[in-house]
Amino acid sequence: MSSTTAMIFGLNKYALEIEANVKSKYDTVNIYALEGQDVSGKTIVTERFDLSDDWLDIAQSVDIENSIAFCVLENSAENIFLTISLRAHFKDLIIIAIASNNESANKLKMAGANKVIPIVETTADIIANVLERPISNRVLHSILYEESDLKIEQVKVLNAEYFKDQMIADIDWSRYKGIIILSVMHEDMSHEFIYASKLNSHIIHEGDILVVVGFEKDIDEFKKRIGSV
Amino acid sequence: MLKRLILDAAYALHTSKKYQAKKTFFYNLLENDQYRYKKYVDILMITLIFISVGVLIREVKYPVSDFLLYFSNYIVSIIFFIEYMLRLWVSSSVSEIIVRRSEHDSFLGSKVRLSKAFKEVLSVKFSYIISVRAIIDLLAILPFFHELRLLRTFILFRVFKLFRYAKSFQTLAGVLATKKFEFITLAMFASIVIFVSSVLIYVMEANNPSSPVNTLFEAVYWSIVTISTVGYGDVTPVTTEGRVVAMIVITSGIAVLAFTTSLVVSAFTEKLDEIKEVKNIEDITKLRDYYLICGYENIARELARKLKRSSHQIIVLDENEARVQSARQDGFIAMHYSPGSMESYEKLNIDISKQVKAVLCLREDDVENVYTALTIRAIDKDVLILSLLMKDANRKKLEFAGINKIVYPQELVGLITKELVGKPAAFEVIHQFRSEYTYVDIDEIMLTPRIIENFPTIGSLTNKKYRVIVLGVSKGESDRFYFNPIDSTLLETGDYLLVVGYKAFISEFEMSLHKKVEHV
Repeated sequence: MSSTTAMIFGLNKYALEIEANVKSKYDTVNIYALEGQDVSGKTIVTERFDLSDDWLDIAQSVDIENSIAFCVLENSAENIFLTISLRAHFKDLIIIAIASNNESANKLKMAGANKVIPIVETTADIIANVLERPISNRVLHSILYEESDLKIEQVKVLNAEYFKDQMIADIDWSRYKGIIILSVMHEDMSHEFIYASKLNSHIIHEGDILVVVGFEKDIDEFKKRIGSV
Repeated sequence: MLKRLILDAAYALHTSKKYQAKKTFFYNLLENDQYRYKKYVDILMITLIFISVGVLIREVKYPVSDFLLYFSNYIVSIIFFIEYMLRLWVSSSVSEIIVRRSEHDSFLGSKVRLSKAFKEVLSVKFSYIISVRAIIDLLAILPFFHELRLLRTFILFRVFKLFRYAKSFQTLAGVLATKKFEFITLAMFASIVIFVSSVLIYVMEANNPSSPVNTLFEAVYWSIVTISTVGYGDVTPVTTEGRVVAMIVITSGIAVLAFTTSLVVSAFTEKLDEIKEVKNIEDITKLRDYYLICGYENIARELARKLKRSSHQIIVLDENEARVQSARQDGFIAMHYSPGSMESYEKLNIDISKQVKAVLCLREDDVENVYTALTIRAIDKDVLILSLLMKDANRKKLEFAGINKIVYPQELVGLITKELVGKPAAFEVIHQFRSEYTYVDIDEIMLTPRIIENFPTIGSLTNKKYRVIVLGVSKGESDRFYFNPIDSTLLETGDYLLVVGYKAFISEFEMSLHKKVEHV
């Protein structure tokens, strides 16, 4: 039986925030402190790692295919080295890394991180949105991060017959009361805006993933119709 | 009896709000560079000066119409006279001097001595009258008596009035004034060389029939032309003795020129930073609706860049010289002042309530941000303050300091990772809508009365034509967001539409909302 593990490399304020936010989604959350780091006074249980590790312990104890790694070391060079080291040993591991700036973000991507969160740029983005678009910021924040009735979901189409081979551009989406279709996802996780010209002649088929916004009950209703439930 | 009347009149004027308001108005109009209407008065005066000088030049060789002569000699002179009197009036307050003297004498229990007050008034007004500016103003009025041919050339003095209106002249004078002692020393040296060489050349050359130096005036003329290194060559020494004097004067001239140049250059070099700062303060005073960034570190730099891209005005305050330089290199107006000091805002003439859109405390240090926020709150209770929070334990302190919006980067990272692991695709979509680097955008459109007149309901909007999704409406009054409202939902002035679409199409859709539509 597969077990999911979140591995957080680095013991700092980011690690604790991530641990608090992902612990409900994974069977196990392990925090690894860098060898030599002083962990006295920390209430959280941590394991140790070294940048020159060959990761044998992890390879034996963790179901890599169903796990995720967060690289949150505050030293950019060490964080990049850690990322490249993990990628070298675990080809299929999902690695999310934090970067202090864009330069580090690019290097982390080159080192094999699946997703990089550039802290400075993300924070600046949020502040700019708070100042310039307070309403959209409030609504999107509520949709993404807060416990509100309004949700954003990715819904896989399993019953394409429902759309009767219609092209996306021809579908009257207003028929689906309560929800708004924003995008169609591709297999590589890239997506196209629903009104993109590339999608004009796209016929919805089984396996397509639609990104929808709506109230929970309306999304559930929609899922039933397209066979996603 | 007369004394009583004078005192009553002085008190009446001193306490009259109407009189003081008028005086302040004229003071601002004539003397206050920060007053927005002063520039119009300056432009008017500069125009009048050029008209006067133009008439004078034209009159030398060509006939000038009577109207222009009348305008230049009388109308302009009368306007300048009124200006002169107004400046004399606002230069000091007579009523204030009398009231102060009265209160001083009363406090000491002695009789009020108006004579002392008048003496002070005369002294204050006289010191204004003999100031260089006031003398130039007075000379500019003299062409009024144009029948006196000589006085007409006083029109040229009007040109000197330009000093009053062109700030660069004032800056130049101010800079050179800092080297007053050096310039006086130089002038003394040059005067002595001119005097000695003039006398010497006169003694050596005046008795020589072939020499062009026959009078002391010609000797002084030659000395000045030579020492200034101009050397016209119309007057030259012919005797050996005279030529020796010429060599000494030429050598001295080079020294005088070099000394003058170095004085001017060093004066400007020393004052350059100060000049730039004064210019920056003037620029800041004129700005409206800008973001005041307190502390220029990594997040501040990134945010400033984003806001600048959206054409927002930004002023940076930081007490660290290196960070200020960094902000300047990034193209922002940055001042080396402490954002946590009241004095900074006074010196910079920043009126937070009128000029500042929001104050952004972006030091990556909670203590500094709280200190700045408290200073800002002490100045203005209503301005929006946004601050970074670096340690969650300090959140309440920031709230207590009156900060309206708190951004905690660590929390953001936590929330983002939660979404990334839960709904990666959805997160990517929203992230891309918010990012400035994609074509698809999420935007807010405020509904004006004109838009409401044309499009009274959600169903009447033409968003589908522009391939724009209306996510919902934020109702102005209740500030409540209605997601995907039904077609019959009534729109009201002050509501905001939240739309998603291609940036170009959103712009077109927004423009279409303002166009008049014919309802069938």
